[in-house]
Amino acid sequence: MKINDNCVGCGQCVSFCNQGAIEVKGKAKVTAACIGCEICFLYCPVKAIEVSV
Amino acid sequence: MKAIIIGAGLGGLLSAAKLSQVGYQVEVFERLPITGGRFTNLNYRGFQLSSGALHTLPHGPTGPLTQFLKEVNADVQIIRSDQPTIRIPLEKSNPNYRKGFKDIFFNKFFTPLSNKDRLKIALLIVSTRKNRPEGSNLKTWIRNQFNDEWLLRLADSFCGWSLNLKSDSVPLEEFFEMIENMYRFGGPGVPIGGCKGVIDALETVIVANGGRIYNKTEVSKILVENGRAAGIIAGDRAYEANLIISNLGHVATAFLCSEALLDKTYSSYLKMLEILKPSAGIKICLAADEPLIRHSGILLTPYAKRVNGINEVTHVDPNLAPPGKHLTMSHQHIAPENLKNLRVEIELGLEDLKEIFPGKKYEVLLIQSYHDGWPVNRVASGMDPGNETPIPELYVVGDGAKGKGGIEVEGVALGVAATMKKILG
Repeated sequence: MKINDNCVGCGQCVSFCNQGAIEVKGKAKVTAACIGCEICFLYCPVKAIEVSV
Repeated sequence: MKAIIIGAGLGGLLSAAKLSQVGYQVEVFERLPITGGRFTNLNYRGFQLSSGALHTLPHGPTGPLTQFLKEVNADVQIIRSDQPTIRIPLEKSNPNYRKGFKDIFFNKFFTPLSNKDRLKIALLIVSTRKNRPEGSNLKTWIRNQFNDEWLLRLADSFCGWSLNLKSDSVPLEEFFEMIENMYRFGGPGVPIGGCKGVIDALETVIVANGGRIYNKTEVSKILVENGRAAGIIAGDRAYEANLIISNLGHVATAFLCSEALLDKTYSSYLKMLEILKPSAGIKICLAADEPLIRHSGILLTPYAKRVNGINEVTHVDPNLAPPGKHLTMSHQHIAPENLKNLRVEIELGLEDLKEIFPGKKYEVLLIQSYHDGWPVNRVASGMDPGNETPIPELYVVGDGAKGKGGIEVEGVALGVAATMKKILG
């Protein structure tokens, strides 16, 4: 899971992450708790989350 | 007649509810899995945080949004908030809250002024309603009338909260239209269920009227035929329509029209779009066992460094937080020149909250910032270019196309109402 420069820090991904694996302060940051479920990707309003293929 | 709505934010859903009510066949296309845009709830650890707006309707149960919701038979209850208060230092000469503070009611905002200035305020309240001042910005106007820092601080706090602007960026016309709207429509309110209470009610109406909402369906193009909007492409399918309403703001809507806007007849429209700038802000969400504000109204904080105001919506709807908890949210405007230091702005906001609530126990739940592609307002208040586009049957609604003097979602509702009037007569 990579966060690109589109991220504005709205925290929408944080609220949908079931693992508590995203922190946000101006910009989102994925922590080691991420299991790669990719749910955050769907909910990002600015296409800031890139999933590795 | 068939209408396509691009974007299921508040403006899109209000439009869909109205058009489906009067007999249009309505289809709403939304890229995200959720509806509501920046006006819905985000469930976080049992708290109903929000995707944008602070669970507040600036003119409450008597405002344009509530009127529109009633008109389309959307079943949601809006409760009038308590009177706003303003936190001021104990001594007027103190530049911050560190040496103590007191709260005064918003409608007594003139009490810290000298007798002479209080008299002047009383006269201006009457005279400005008859002869509206114009041609300048709010800060310059206040400076010309008064030699008092208090009024400038209050203006910045109030405009930061309600328009997400500093007072030197607020055109006088916009400010006095907003004040007139406060007389006309009254003060703020909170929807039961928060923002999502409104969104759910609208969705129910749209579906009951036979409309359809497609989530996870991104519109990639607006089709223009013979100079008129004729449909859209979503996924790998084309959808025809007699009417298209975009909830994406003018700029993103123009992008979707792509080559259709290249003709030189549209060049002045495209040039106008270049000067439209979104406005930025920060919301800090706090959880507390004991209430931090103790009333359901807004607390304006003109002596904070960055925070403009704070509300505590759990006094209206306790279900917006887990049992026994309060949800308190602060808003701060980010001036364009400070956006590059977003982290600094956040830290200043957090310091403000410590000063505003000294000795109080609270937890910072989430810090949410909004700018550029997901801003507070797609176009700064008072600057937006209205709802029409140069392409017939293509309209823009939402926070990039509000009505005059309309604060936040009230402006969205005024813009949608104006658009519906143009379409339906």
